[in-house]
Amino acid sequence: MLAIETNDLCKSYGKRRGISDVNISVEQGEIFGFLGPNGAGKSTTIRVLLGFLKATAGRSRILGKDCWSESDVIKADVGYVAGDVRLYSWLTARRAFQIVSEIRQRDIAPRGFELAERFRLEVDLPVRKMSRGNRQKVALVTALAHSPRLVILDEPTSGLDPLMQDTLMLCLREMAEQGHTVFFSSHTLSEVDSLCDRVAIVRDGRIAACEPLQQLKARAPRRVSLIMNSAQDAGALQLPEFATLASRQEARIEFELVGSAAELTRWAASLNIKDIAIGQPNLESLFRQYYQTETATS
Amino acid sequence: MKGLLRKIYLEVRIPVLLFSVALGLVMFLLTSLLPKVLGSMDTFLLKMPFIKPLLSAFIGQDIEGGFTTEMMQGFLWIHPSVLALVWAHELMYCSRLPAAEIDRGTIDFLLGLPTSRWKLFVSETIGWIVTGGVIVGCGLTGHLLASSSLQPSMRPGLFAIAGIGVNFFAVYLAVGGIAFLISANSDRRGRTIGVMFAILLVSFLLNFLAQFWTPARSFSFLSVMEYYRPAYIIQSNAFPWSDVICLGMIGLTAWTTGGLILRSRSVCTV
Repeated sequence: MLAIETNDLCKSYGKRRGISDVNISVEQGEIFGFLGPNGAGKSTTIRVLLGFLKATAGRSRILGKDCWSESDVIKADVGYVAGDVRLYSWLTARRAFQIVSEIRQRDIAPRGFELAERFRLEVDLPVRKMSRGNRQKVALVTALAHSPRLVILDEPTSGLDPLMQDTLMLCLREMAEQGHTVFFSSHTLSEVDSLCDRVAIVRDGRIAACEPLQQLKARAPRRVSLIMNSAQDAGALQLPEFATLASRQEARIEFELVGSAAELTRWAASLNIKDIAIGQPNLESLFRQYYQTETATS
Repeated sequence: MKGLLRKIYLEVRIPVLLFSVALGLVMFLLTSLLPKVLGSMDTFLLKMPFIKPLLSAFIGQDIEGGFTTEMMQGFLWIHPSVLALVWAHELMYCSRLPAAEIDRGTIDFLLGLPTSRWKLFVSETIGWIVTGGVIVGCGLTGHLLASSSLQPSMRPGLFAIAGIGVNFFAVYLAVGGIAFLISANSDRRGRTIGVMFAILLVSFLLNFLAQFWTPARSFSFLSVMEYYRPAYIIQSNAFPWSDVICLGMIGLTAWTTGGLILRSRSVCTV
């Protein structure tokens, strides 16, 4: 049984763009990244999955249950943190544990306090006195405290300091190791890069790519720095199709490699070069390509 | 449900306490002042006769034969400060779900929990009925406490007070049911309160105008105030069954429609 499955899911807001033909399948125990620029349709997809919004067309299921008609049953196994966390001004983490325990009909307080300590959260501080980061922590701790089978996080690191971001990533990895599924929406590539097994890129309300991170990385350009024996050699060098020139400065040529490293090494072996350095796959660049295409279209 | 009711309790306990104390005090004061006002009412009406039709329209009874004790006792229950207090609580309370929750974005937290929208609606309704009961009960208590110091001839009978209390609560249910319906269709609390305020104002004016303007009489059945007649209850000493049933039906129909709308609508906070 899949943790999340959508088939041709659409949500239209009338004149405003929603999502169209979204097809995703997330396996149980997977950390799935949902990547896209602001306004691409990430939150809309999540809201349809959680039964906040009724889909205009298509089907969506979580853990085998229909996202609209069985929404309340689904949420017993789901922990959710909204993109823009808004909580009641009077709420404290302690009260949240009590209320959520009563609604979920299971005591989440022990695990809640444990997580609160991990996230360095004051459990008796009311939300009205909290910073944005602390409000985010309350939402995270409350969403994770019942050890849900599926965690849906909509840009969860906003407001968190780098240390807390690391704590969150560690928590999510631990949960995934225990068989929990994580659906992680973000517009920050580095987060997804360090966490996810598979990624879907959403653009203009449609899924532009959905593949394992390794596969995506293989397609992502790498920055290659080539130092020729002389500036004259560098000036005369013709770059192959799989390389896009970034800069040429005396004997140094920098280009983006869009292809396999094997192709590059074969080509480089035929040249008279002094040194070569191949960088990590640049997902950021690939992401920008998607984003720029969107901007150009719009 | 327990968790939802706890949340409601934590949110509304202070305003409900304040409204209850305020209504209790207002009713106590108005009842205590009853003999004084009644004593000077005839002189006042003689000096300012143009007030008579307005007052008649206000209490829904003809006062040409003089302003009686029963009329004055009935007037307590339609006094603007009494209605304003109860309706202010009601507009604030009934606009909470979903309008206020969507407006401030907190509905994401609620809907992220394993509870159906219908359950949310029902728990809000329980809170609405209980808080209404507490506030109206405090008003009645204030009235009864002050009544004990009045001359026996000025005290309304317990049956009449019970009838007025039930009629008053039925108005509360009708107005709240409509407010829930408006809220279920809205994403903004301010808009919900604004629309409800307009409905109440029109309802009040319609009932008022119908007393001395014939064209308005044809439409007076649309006003909830048409079914609230405390002066008539005291004078006739009859339980207002038809009014209570009518108000109950208005409230129930509006409330059920609101619940069904909330259950099937998309909720968007972004």
